[in-house]
Amino acid sequence: MEGLLSWLGRAYENTLFVYGLVLLLVYALLALLSMIAIRRYTRKSTQHQLDILASSPMAPGLTILAPAFNEGLTIISNVRSLLTLNYPRYEIIIINDGSTDNTMEQLISEFRMVAVDFAHNARILTQPVRKIYKSTDPAYSSLMVIDKVNGKSKADAVNAGINIATFNYFVCTDVDCILHKDTLLELVLPVMQEEKKRVIAVGATLRIANSSDFDEGVLIRMRPPRQLLPRFQEVEYIRSFVLGKMGWSYINCVPNVSGGLGLFDKEVATRCGGYDHSSFGEDMELLTRMCRYAHDNQIDYAVRYIPRTLCWTEGPASVKIFSRQRTRWARGLAQLMHAHFSMFLNPRYGKMGLIVFPFNFFFELLAPLVEFSGIIIYIYLAVTGQVNWPYALLLLLFVYTYAVMITTISILWDQLSFGYYKKWWEVAYLCLTPFMEFLLYHPLIVFFSLRGYYYFLTGKKSTWGNMQRQGFGKKKT
Amino acid sequence: MFDIPIPAFLDPVLSTFREAPLAIRLAMIFIIVAVLVTLLAYFSILRSRFLGYQRRKRLDYLLPKIDNLIIDEIMAHPEVAAGTPASQIQLNLDGFQELPLHKKWARQATTNRIIHFRRNVRGNAGHLLRNLYIQLELNKDTMKQMKSPKWARKVRALTEFIDMDIPVADVTILPLTNSRNRELRAAARHAYIKLSKNEPFKFFDVVTDPLLMWDQVELFRIITTTEDISIPNFARWVTYSSNKSVVSFCLKLIVHYNQLPAVPAVIKLLDTKDHYLRADAINCLGKLKAPDVEDRLVSMYSSQPLQCQIEILKAVGRISSGRQVDFLKQEFLHSTNFDLRKAAAKSLVRNDQAARGVVQELLETANRENLLILKHCMNPLIKY
Amino acid sequence: MSKILLVEDDEIMPKIVARILPSAEYELDHVSNGKEAFEKLESTNYGYDLIITDIMMPYANGFEILSRVKSQPRPIPVIIVSNAGNEDMIMEGFKLGADDFLKKPIIPAELLIRVKRLLMKNK
Repeated sequence: MEGLLSWLGRAYENTLFVYGLVLLLVYALLALLSMIAIRRYTRKSTQHQLDILASSPMAPGLTILAPAFNEGLTIISNVRSLLTLNYPRYEIIIINDGSTDNTMEQLISEFRMVAVDFAHNARILTQPVRKIYKSTDPAYSSLMVIDKVNGKSKADAVNAGINIATFNYFVCTDVDCILHKDTLLELVLPVMQEEKKRVIAVGATLRIANSSDFDEGVLIRMRPPRQLLPRFQEVEYIRSFVLGKMGWSYINCVPNVSGGLGLFDKEVATRCGGYDHSSFGEDMELLTRMCRYAHDNQIDYAVRYIPRTLCWTEGPASVKIFSRQRTRWARGLAQLMHAHFSMFLNPRYGKMGLIVFPFNFFFELLAPLVEFSGIIIYIYLAVTGQVNWPYALLLLLFVYTYAVMITTISILWDQLSFGYYKKWWEVAYLCLTPFMEFLLYHPLIVFFSLRGYYYFLTGKKSTWGNMQRQGFGKKKT
Repeated sequence: MFDIPIPAFLDPVLSTFREAPLAIRLAMIFIIVAVLVTLLAYFSILRSRFLGYQRRKRLDYLLPKIDNLIIDEIMAHPEVAAGTPASQIQLNLDGFQELPLHKKWARQATTNRIIHFRRNVRGNAGHLLRNLYIQLELNKDTMKQMKSPKWARKVRALTEFIDMDIPVADVTILPLTNSRNRELRAAARHAYIKLSKNEPFKFFDVVTDPLLMWDQVELFRIITTTEDISIPNFARWVTYSSNKSVVSFCLKLIVHYNQLPAVPAVIKLLDTKDHYLRADAINCLGKLKAPDVEDRLVSMYSSQPLQCQIEILKAVGRISSGRQVDFLKQEFLHSTNFDLRKAAAKSLVRNDQAARGVVQELLETANRENLLILKHCMNPLIKY
Repeated sequence: MSKILLVEDDEIMPKIVARILPSAEYELDHVSNGKEAFEKLESTNYGYDLIITDIMMPYANGFEILSRVKSQPRPIPVIIVSNAGNEDMIMEGFKLGADDFLKKPIIPAELLIRVKRLLMKNK
């Protein structure tokens, strides 16, 4: 018995050691790959290219899909900002998902909308569409509003939009997200410049909008969030997009195109059934299914990412709402891994099955469990006096400095290529944030993730995260 | 080994290091590495921000000066307004000599500004801007960039030559059109079309790799904005090229230049086995409103894949001769595919005069779904 | 003396236009986005003889400006100056009542002629 226990202990220790080492190596590798990918992007992309595309009659048509549920506070300014994007050929579809506030009334009166007889072929099943509105003012001829019965999910709302979309590519965003004016140009370029593969999705960097200045849906000045929780998220987003997604993009292994902003191939998205309304992480779920579909149908596909920040979203500022969001994400991840487990280490799915899926399984899904078990064992060892404190502290210090280094590198890549923020001390402020992340922010994420897994296993009911917004329509003076 | 004096306070650290197991030793080393890398990152951030700040400050000072000089010397030049050809106008460069043009960044800034101006004005003023660029010898920097081993620099130089319309010898460009780097290859081809005085479209004959959507955007812009380029009959490549992307691109150019003499070649393309290309050809015929092809299109309709069928319906709508109203009505009433019925309805509505009676009759008799489709197509607020 | 409003977000174009239209005959006001354009129009009670506008701009695009201007009791003539090469977009502009369209890059003399002609027509 004694022997078995100590054997188990050693096995656990060794597994953990290898686990940690692989994780560290992967991050070092991502730092390197992302650097190459970002350099390639900055060399290749010029404002001139975007101008050429903006003035070209050959730009492919795009459909913007933005679902809205009780967004009365910001809907008008955000639709206005969508109307002024730089792109020669696009339509905007706002999907009013059975709002109970005055979202629909505001849209109708502001943009002089009338219900029209609209014939469409619903290839994806959704909650019924009540009416479709177009504007009588030709200035808003690119705008369309779908009024549908609430489907209790963003997925159902976007699917209704996909059914009606005219063009071959759609850009999915949230009504509460603020987009850069060049968003459409930037997102479609990777599709047009890809040599052999079919680009089925393109994503770009998202950032937290909380302390930046906006005026009627236009970004005036970028600032790191003043409050700690959103600032943690800003740093996390920079790490996950600029370092993570860009690194993965370089080897065509992007695991997820964020729901805040992404361009998708409509044909592939429709054929694999659109967004799954029962999923808690519908964005990642759709991309996984699209990749799977592409593999199953011998489509040589690619998913690309852009390091430039094109979308600002309001990050939860209170722990309560933040917990709701992260619990939901974790639950979505567990659901996804469960539903598509047949891809795990399955060579039929290429990189998807051999790299993306295993990485997500071990280092996204299992990470909170591993960390949690580590803490429990640590406490046990500490209580029974078996801890070599100097060594333990050294290892802790190592993980801490490594984590700070990786985050700082991602801020560096971001700074070198785009030089965001106006003042140098704002960047310094951001650079200090990772020092606290490990102790304050990370434990929260682990805890919420575990809660999400628990809800997944017990099947707790939940409605779609309707977060309370402050609204940043008007310039704060 | 090394005889470096070690401060006494580090002794416990060193002894711990010597006694520790491998994992701990590694951890200790990596802590130092991580701290150093982090510090280096801070330094790089500060440095890049400082350089950026300096650059902005310099430009904030220089650009207004350049703008004023260009405005005064070129835009307001009395002889430009009088219509004197640019080649006969003497530029007064005194003002420009006072700019710090011995500095590379200042030369680059001036070049960029001249290009920016040329994107806003053309004609005589545009030519004069080009003269200014040459007389300030700014093209020498660009020439130097062309010799750089870095592809990104070469691309930038080529783009600059295209923007400034500076002729480059074929021997310089031609080798680059076969470069292994895609961006460089594309830029060299664009430069060849824009700048070569011999046979700008020669590369259509030789290109074997597909033209990407992006290449087509750039080519289209260059071909349609170059002033003294002689536009060939693109039917030549529609007939002879084996590169599908070239054929498809030429179809778009045929539409843009409304080259009706190309119609027979495009009709021949209807026999191609590639149905993407066939759809493009049908689309082209429709947009040209090619007379007398409707019968041909309608007769081949039933054996086509969906994509081509939709294009045929659209083409019949675009041509709108009124002779195919019955065909459209048949398709609208009896097709099982929603997209086909919608395309047929749209074309019926476009056949305005000839189909008015039929549309009216259909409005009265159609079932619910077909009625909705018709109303959709008749509503002027709905574009697609 | 004719009052002209130029709505343009490029930084060089206004300088060029200011030089093309001699200040002895034209009073040129420049704003750089749709919001400022509306503010300017409202504060002057639409007191302009001509508007020159781009299409793609922040806050409100050229179409909105056109639509608003043309719904006034005394519609002001509008020239669109844009690099848009998409025919649909140009057609849209004319549908909304644009009086003229010039594609960038422009020929300075041509802009002057068209401005003169439109102002004459509306005298």
